[in-house]
Amino acid sequence: MADPKNPSRGQGKKEAARQRIAEKRAAEAAARAAEQRRRRAVVGAAVAAVVVVVAVVVAIAVQTSRSAVASDAARPDGTSAGGNGYTFTVGQADAPVTVDLYEDFQCPNCRDFEDRAGSTLEQLASAGTVKIVYHGMAFLDSSQNDDYSTRALNAAAVVASSAGPEAYEKFHDLLYANQPDERTGSGLTDQQLISYAEQAGATGEDVATDITNLVYGEWVKGAEDQASKDGVNGTPTVFVDGTELADLTADGVTAAVQAAQRG
Amino acid sequence: MRPWLATAARLLLGGVLVVAGALKLPDPAEAARAVRAYQLLPEGLVGPVAFGLPVVEIAVGLALLAGVFVRAAALATAVLLVTFLVGIVSAWARGLQIDCGCFGGGGQVDAADTAYPWEVARDTAMLLVALALARWPHSRLALATRLEPAHG
Repeated sequence: MADPKNPSRGQGKKEAARQRIAEKRAAEAAARAAEQRRRRAVVGAAVAAVVVVVAVVVAIAVQTSRSAVASDAARPDGTSAGGNGYTFTVGQADAPVTVDLYEDFQCPNCRDFEDRAGSTLEQLASAGTVKIVYHGMAFLDSSQNDDYSTRALNAAAVVASSAGPEAYEKFHDLLYANQPDERTGSGLTDQQLISYAEQAGATGEDVATDITNLVYGEWVKGAEDQASKDGVNGTPTVFVDGTELADLTADGVTAAVQAAQRG
Repeated sequence: MRPWLATAARLLLGGVLVVAGALKLPDPAEAARAVRAYQLLPEGLVGPVAFGLPVVEIAVGLALLAGVFVRAAALATAVLLVTFLVGIVSAWARGLQIDCGCFGGGGQVDAADTAYPWEVARDTAMLLVALALARWPHSRLALATRLEPAHG
């Protein structure tokens, strides 16, 4: 018991050494496994990142071409001189004040504006005080109204193209006077659009087929994009000499036009 | 308990992201108008953001749903949500009358048909969930734990 050279003690030492070696090997194996896992995770993340980047690039390319307005799209005649091809101007070219009107034919607030201020505006135009620049928009299409916004703006472009901007204005007034309900309505039929076009002064077989065939359908998309680029996101939006009109009443229009005239 | 909450967070955020991204794909012109309506980006960046963002949303959403790269995806979600919140709050502060376009649509709204308070509240709530998930990403029903059983 007092013997310091206890054989069992030496055996214990060996045992401990073996254990240490085994632990060290296990730790090394664990470290290798962890390193392998880490490497696999890095590779996985890199692959995932590349896949996402490629998908983004492809999506940008595909969606850009899908959203572009076809360059060979039919464009109506009679648009504003020197304009971007998406507007129709009524009134004398040298009128001192310009009123820009952004409207959707299906928009009920636009009809309210036309009810309140439309005739005032047209009187100011015929008096030579203002020229009205009509910017059509079409964002209230639905399956219920059979894409009425687009069909109505297309028809208006057909009218302007065949009978001039004054006919556009007449047609525009007729469509607001007979606006179908935005929520419950099913839009005016093509036949109704054709008969209003006739009343506005655009007649003939071509007018009817151009309305039915949505000949300016691509152009309508372009008009919608143009309004967005003009910074217009709601209808009705009215600019009097470039300043947005807040008071959308007849008095509001008159006051703003007078202010613009005074400079 | 906590892993199951993380699973719920994954499914919620992932589901919302995938749906939000997918709804922006069918009408790219509308998506571009929605981005342009914020009036924050130069015209040259409108298209890339409008068309690239939905893909990123879907990718991050799929990662969350599947349960791979959960922490990274949760952080990416948080970054996206902070970006959206900045856009929405700035549009609100500037008095723009736009729809956020978060789930397609976007851009034009009729008169004062805006919903800024709701949009901000929703995105803030989702941001908190995303941050919590980034802090505690370990969850049940995750693909990554199946591939890596040794991994805690």
